Amino acid sequence: MGKFLEKLAYLLIALGAAGWAASVLLYGGDVRYQMLSVLVLTIGIFVGHFWEELFYSK
Amino acid sequence: MARKRISQAEEWQAWAKRYDIDGGVRTFESGLSLKVILGALFVGLLMMPGSIYMSLVSGQSGAGAAPWVAVILFTELARRSFTTVKRQELYILLGLASAAVGAGGRYSGYIWEAYFIQTPQAEAFEIADKIPRWVVPPKDSIAIAQRSLLHPDWALPISVMLINLVLSQLRWIGGPYVLFRLTADLERLPFPMAPVHAQGATALAETTGKRETWRWRVFSIGAMAGLFWGALYIGIPSLTGVIMAKPIQILPIPFIDFTRSIEGFAPTGVFAMVTDFGQMLTGFVMPFPVIITQFVGALFTQFILNPQILYRFEILHSWHPGLDVRATGLMNWLDFWFSFGLGKSFSFAIIGFAVSLPMLIKYKEAKRKEVGERGSLRTPPGRGDFPIWVAGGMWLAGMIGFVYLVHWMVPHFPLLFLLGFAFLYTPLNSYITARTYGILSRDLFEVPYIKEATIILSRYEEIDIWFAPFPMEDYGRGTQHWRVLELTGTTFTSNIAAHLITLPILLISGLLVWHFIWKLAPIPSSQYPFVQTWWPIWATQRCLWITSLRDGQSQMLQAIRGTYVAAGLGASLALYGLIWLAKLPSMWFYGLAGGIGADPGSMIPLLLGAIVGRVYMIKRFGLKRWYMFNPVLAAGFSCGTGLAAMAIVSLAMVSKSVIVKPF
Repeated sequence: MGKFLEKLAYLLIALGAAGWAASVLLYGGDVRYQMLSVLVLTIGIFVGHFWEELFYSK
Repeated sequence: MARKRISQAEEWQAWAKRYDIDGGVRTFESGLSLKVILGALFVGLLMMPGSIYMSLVSGQSGAGAAPWVAVILFTELARRSFTTVKRQELYILLGLASAAVGAGGRYSGYIWEAYFIQTPQAEAFEIADKIPRWVVPPKDSIAIAQRSLLHPDWALPISVMLINLVLSQLRWIGGPYVLFRLTADLERLPFPMAPVHAQGATALAETTGKRETWRWRVFSIGAMAGLFWGALYIGIPSLTGVIMAKPIQILPIPFIDFTRSIEGFAPTGVFAMVTDFGQMLTGFVMPFPVIITQFVGALFTQFILNPQILYRFEILHSWHPGLDVRATGLMNWLDFWFSFGLGKSFSFAIIGFAVSLPMLIKYKEAKRKEVGERGSLRTPPGRGDFPIWVAGGMWLAGMIGFVYLVHWMVPHFPLLFLLGFAFLYTPLNSYITARTYGILSRDLFEVPYIKEATIILSRYEEIDIWFAPFPMEDYGRGTQHWRVLELTGTTFTSNIAAHLITLPILLISGLLVWHFIWKLAPIPSSQYPFVQTWWPIWATQRCLWITSLRDGQSQMLQAIRGTYVAAGLGASLALYGLIWLAKLPSMWFYGLAGGIGADPGSMIPLLLGAIVGRVYMIKRFGLKRWYMFNPVLAAGFSCGTGLAAMAIVSLAMVSKSVIVKPF
C-alpha cells in the first residue's frame, strides 16, 4: 500500500505539473485547463503527504 | 546515488530545535504578580498620554520603544531595591506595556468620527446626516460642542465598543490558541522570530540576578549597535531637519532607487536597495535557505520573468519608461502580481492542509506521542493549557456574538456575507498567516480593500456598513505570541489573567486621557500639526471611497483576473510538487514562493546578514552558540534603535515647540 501511494503521488504531481505548464504554454493559460492541473496537483500533494506521514519511516 | 528523502517532519523538527535555544527543557511559572500590575498601572497612567500626544503631534506614537523603556526602568528599580525579577514577569510586563500604549487607540476613533461628522466634506457628500448613532453622537450634540467624552451622548458608541471588546477577548484568546496548537505543537513549525521576542525579556531579567550571564553581554552589544544605528539612520536626518531646510541623510531613506537604471535591459523590473541595514540582524536570525531562495526568486522575477516574459507578452502593459520603483511596482501589481499573489496565497492554504490533515487523522496517536515530538498534541506539564475544544468554543461563541452585533448594527446588509467572512474567510486567512509566520515570520496573504470589494458586490447602498466593524480577522500573527510565552516559560493562564485584570484599568485611563487631551484644544488644531495636516485629506479620501465605489467602478475589482489567479495557484503547487519529487527541503519552496514578485533590493540587508552569519559568525562562534547569540543580539538591537528613536523624536518635538519671538 505504501509503495503504491508513493508511486501514485509521484505520478500525479508529475502529471499535474506538466499539465499546468501545457495549459499555460499551449492553451494560453485557459482557466479550465489550469484548474484541472491544480486539482491533479492538489490530489498528488495530499497523497504524497499521507504517504509520508502514514507509511514513510526513516 | 539517489538523494535521501528528508520528510517534512524531520526538517521542521530540526529547525524548531535550532530555534529553541533552551533546548526544549524549561519549567513554566506564572508571570503575574503585584509588581507587574503596578508596572502596568505606571505605563497606563504615564506613558499612554505621551504616546497619544506624540501621535497627534508627529504621527509617531513611540509605541515600539515604550515597552522597552518600561521594562528597563522596572529592572533598574528592582536592582536598586535588591530584589529580583523573573523573565516571566518581564515578558508579561512587555506585553502589558505594548497593550497599554496602544490602549488609547480604542478612543482615537471617536475623536476622528466627531471631527469627520462636522467636516464640510461629509456635508458636501451628503454623508454627515446619515452616519449612524452607534458611531458618534449627532453633529449638533453638546458632547461634540463641549469636546467631552464623558457625556451621556457617547453611551451608545462606547457600549457597542465594550460589548465587542468582551466578545473580542473570547475570539482573540480562542482563535490564536487553536492555531498555536496546530502549527507549533502538532506541526512543530520553527517560528524563527519568536526567540528574538523571548530573549529580550530573558536577558534583562538576568541583570537583576546575582550574576550576569552571556545574555546580558550580548544584549548590551546589540543595544549599543542599535543606539549607534538609530542615531545615524534616524537621528541625523531628524535633528538636522530641525535646523536646516533640507535634512542631511547619510544614507537615503528608505531606499536607493535603481529602477530607472535597469529599465534599459530589464523593462518593468524593479530594484530599490533598502538602506535600513538594521535588517541585517533579522538576516542573522532567519533560516539561511529561506533568505537565499527568497532572493533568488525575487531576482528571477525582476530580471527574467517581468522583462523577458510578462512584458514581452504584454501581460505587464501599463508600464512605460521613466517610472520609479513605486509607480512601476503599482502598475505591475495591478496588471498581474495582485491576481498571481492571490493564487499563490491559496496554494499555501492547500499545502498547509495537505501537511496537517494526515497528522490530525492520526489524532489518537498524536495524543500518545511524547511532548515536543512532531505530530504530538500532548502539552508540556504546567504550561497552563486548556482543552482545544474549549478554545474553539470560545472563538465560536465570540464570533457568533460578533456577527449578531454587526447584524444588529446593519440589519439590511446581507447576512450571508457576514457569515462567509466570519466562518470561512477568517479561519482560512488566519491559518495561512499562522503557517507563514511559523516558517517565514511574515504575512503573505493579504487581500487589500476586501471590505470595499465586498460592499460593492453585495450591492448594498446604505452608508452605515462603511462605519460598522466587519467579521474579518486574522489571528495568525497572534500565534507567534503563544510560542514566545512557551519559550519564556510563562504559563498561558497567567498571561491571560494579567491582560484581563489590567484591561479595565487601561479602558478607564484611556477614556480619561483622551477626554483630557480633547479638552486641551480642538483636534485637529494648530496644537496638533500632524492631524491638522492629514485629517482633512483623509476625510476627503473617505468620502470619495464611500461614494465613488457605489457604481462598482473599483480599480481593485478590475485588477482580479481569473487566469492569473489560477496561474499563481498552479505555478506554486507545481513548484512545491517538483521540490517534493526532487526530495529538496520544503524551505526552498517557501523562500522561492515568498520571493517571486518581490523586489530583490528590499532583501539586500537580509541577505548580507544571512551571508555574514553563515560565512563568518558560525565559523567564529560555532553553530549552536551562534543560534543562541543571534536572537539576543537582535532583541538588544531593536531595544537600542527604539530608545534612540524615542530620544530623537522627543528632542525634535521640544525644539519644534519652542517659539522664537521676534523681539
